[in-house]
Amino acid sequence: MEAFLGNLSLGFGVALTLNNIFLCFIGCMVGTLIGVLPGVGPIATIAMLLPITFGFDPTGALIMLAGIYYGAQYGGSTTAILVNIPGEATSVVTVLDGHQMAKQGRAGVALGMAAIGSFFAGTVATLLIAALGQPLTKLAQLFGPAEYFSLMIMGLVFAVVLARGSILKAICMILMGLLLATVGTDLETGQERLTLGIQDLSDGVDFAVLAMGIFGFAEIVRNLENPETRDVVRAAIGRLWPGKDDFRQSYFPILRGTIVGAVLGILPGNGAVLGPFASYTIEKKIAKDARRFGRGAIEGVAGPEAANNAGAQTAFIPLLTLGIPPNAVMALMVGAMTIHGIIPGPQVMTKNPELFWGMIASMWLGNLMLLVINLPLIGLWVKLLQVPYRLMFPAIMIFCCIGIYSINNSTSDVLFTAFFGLVGYSLLKLGFEPAPMLLGFVLGKLMEEKLRQALILSRGSFATFVERPVSGVLLGVAVIMLLIALVPSVRKGRDVVFTE
Amino acid sequence: MTDHLSVTEDKKPPGLVRSSQNLGAGLFLMAIALFAFWQAQELPRGTLNAMGAGMLPQSLAAFLFIGGLALALSGLLVKGEAMERWSLRGPIFIFGGIILFSLLIRTCGLVIAGPVAMIFGSMASDEFNWKEATVFALILTGICILLFKVLLRLPIPVIGAMLEPFFPF
Repeated sequence: MEAFLGNLSLGFGVALTLNNIFLCFIGCMVGTLIGVLPGVGPIATIAMLLPITFGFDPTGALIMLAGIYYGAQYGGSTTAILVNIPGEATSVVTVLDGHQMAKQGRAGVALGMAAIGSFFAGTVATLLIAALGQPLTKLAQLFGPAEYFSLMIMGLVFAVVLARGSILKAICMILMGLLLATVGTDLETGQERLTLGIQDLSDGVDFAVLAMGIFGFAEIVRNLENPETRDVVRAAIGRLWPGKDDFRQSYFPILRGTIVGAVLGILPGNGAVLGPFASYTIEKKIAKDARRFGRGAIEGVAGPEAANNAGAQTAFIPLLTLGIPPNAVMALMVGAMTIHGIIPGPQVMTKNPELFWGMIASMWLGNLMLLVINLPLIGLWVKLLQVPYRLMFPAIMIFCCIGIYSINNSTSDVLFTAFFGLVGYSLLKLGFEPAPMLLGFVLGKLMEEKLRQALILSRGSFATFVERPVSGVLLGVAVIMLLIALVPSVRKGRDVVFTE
Repeated sequence: MTDHLSVTEDKKPPGLVRSSQNLGAGLFLMAIALFAFWQAQELPRGTLNAMGAGMLPQSLAAFLFIGGLALALSGLLVKGEAMERWSLRGPIFIFGGIILFSLLIRTCGLVIAGPVAMIFGSMASDEFNWKEATVFALILTGICILLFKVLLRLPIPVIGAMLEPFFPF
């Protein structure tokens, strides 16, 4: 307990310097500004804004990045409520009741409650990270290569199970991501693999380039194809602070959402996306009058938003303790940390405690910022959302170009991004969901390394993955999850969850 | 790919194909897998307890091929979605704009690359009009220079190597 408080106070000592508060503020602000744009999810936002953190020291840069991350998340919710467009998978649920509330002139209350719910969830999740960080790091030290490999396999299986649409397609996407990850110089033998003789590929494909192509540019082309049905709220925004009744209805949904979201967020393989869905389903099930849902029930905003934010935050746990990014956004954070010379993993906490705890404290600070700065700015977001897409997309395009160019000062990176944009567009057209591919790509290098190490230790026997107890259990869980997902009745249920 | 597309453009796909989208998706993956396998075939495979550089790329490509084959077969056997229509306008102007940006940024700098990429990209929209796109692109380029160069001091070239002689300062 003492260590826990000591760590937190160390963190707040770092985060609460004037300089770092300012960086967090700027991060939240621009994160929301970009995140609010329809069709720009957190991944594109972070990739676009990554270069603006380059000028600062690692701690400051990561604090700013955390701000950008939360800003992007909250920006997505704002768009979901004000416009009938979910910025990303996790705010799909918020659209249902949030936009209805907005149509009834209660956009302010919806946004306010979303922010309050998120803040509460963020606070709990911050404490959870602080509490779980140390024990999990200890656990990580017991992990050998085989356990790491099996854990990542489990993560990928989760990603397959949680992906929308066909399971076979999701598996193919994972394989493609893993294959893409092998591009570049082989770490052990130094041989060039699949580089097609292109010099710039010898370091492999840059994650930001891939992510920006697939989530930034492909998305623009996709949006241009579907004629715009942007339904910006015309009703008054109304007051922001929810009334007594709203609070009474929201206490428990927020609490339940926080718990559900936090637990799912820890799972590797993008468990966080499931949080809002789970929370919405729970609230609807236990509601006295389920018909209110979909017609502007505040519980349908408060619960899922809390779950969303709790998951967004606990998703840092596998990254910070095991060095395994559980989803594409976290993978981007890995890239950002690496640029600043920090390799995420258990060693960060011991070698760089100020940075580690400072970042955790700044997560909480970021949540607070969102509550304080975003609510007064809603009018501005509404104005921004009224900008027609024909003006918005060239702006998004140029920001993406400048962002990608600035990461490595490389023109070929910009070209590769265009190429991956084309690939991403093709994948969308062929009915693939690209998110699992990104996760496969992210985990690919680490998985290969661990696989090779494990096989060297076992003298080439695959049995090691099953014989070592922890590794065997992890693989067992993965197999069971996959089998359950393939059972017809569950498959139907899964489709319902995602289409609802 | 192309001849396959022309088949599915029709409203009613011929009896053999139950889901042109899945068939196309499968063929797409198989093509990628074959290409990757061909590229990786020279690399030494090694043995399981001392893997070579080629082991993983080759086996992943093989798995991907199998996945693609299964998907393509399911497109023939299981009823599913038909291929969506592919548009050309969006990809050509958006990706063309990005390529222009990458070609112009070093040589001419952001002052040229910005407006050119944005105006070209704007043509991807059906509602394109020259005047609006030009004015907007110029204003936004100004904002970008202010933001990225002046405020954030990123090393992005505002005036490229080719234009430098005209700007002696």
